[in-house]
Amino acid sequence: MFRTALLRSARRATSQAARSSGAIARPVVPSSFITKSRFAPSAFQAARCYSAAAGLSKPEVEGRIVDLLKNFDKVSDPSKLSPTSHFSNDLGLDSLDTVEVVMAIEEEFSIEIPDKEADAIHSVDKAVEYILAQPDAH
Amino acid sequence: MRLSGLQRDVLSLYRKCLRESRKKDAIARPHFESFARQEFEKSIGLDKKDFSTIEFLLRKGHRQLEMYSSPGIKDIR
Repeated sequence: MFRTALLRSARRATSQAARSSGAIARPVVPSSFITKSRFAPSAFQAARCYSAAAGLSKPEVEGRIVDLLKNFDKVSDPSKLSPTSHFSNDLGLDSLDTVEVVMAIEEEFSIEIPDKEADAIHSVDKAVEYILAQPDAH
Repeated sequence: MRLSGLQRDVLSLYRKCLRESRKKDAIARPHFESFARQEFEKSIGLDKKDFSTIEFLLRKGHRQLEMYSSPGIKDIR
């Protein structure tokens, strides 16, 4: 009875040692390399699908801002509307109107323009320039 | 056009008023916006060197803004 138990435990110990030594002997680096190379590309592809940037083009931004100004009833002379027109000199807007226009541009492109930058926007091309510099404008 | 500090404060107050109007209902929003515009236009003829009056009106405006931005106030006319 005692002898069989001893033999059994001895056999188990040797088999375990063999198994663990087998695991140690197995080359570790190539196996991890294989799993990486198998799964990495698909993960990259998924990331690429979602990160395709739809940037705004300059003509599109200009068109949207000019359209917005067309619908703004305080513009004195709509024929002077162009991508380079100045809010107060060409369009006859006062400073409060300018604030309204900049706020409307904020809503159109769903961004928030801080006061300091907003005070510097006095013309259509300045606004276009600012919008194009914003990565999260859309 | 270069703006003085006080002028920038006035425009900043107007911007705040428009921002607060956005939080109101879609129907009431134009009412709040035109009300803000009217309040500013009341003193549009003020001399820009009349500092004490402008400062007083700015303080008054901030107080008014605080009052009207409370969510309990739904509409204005």
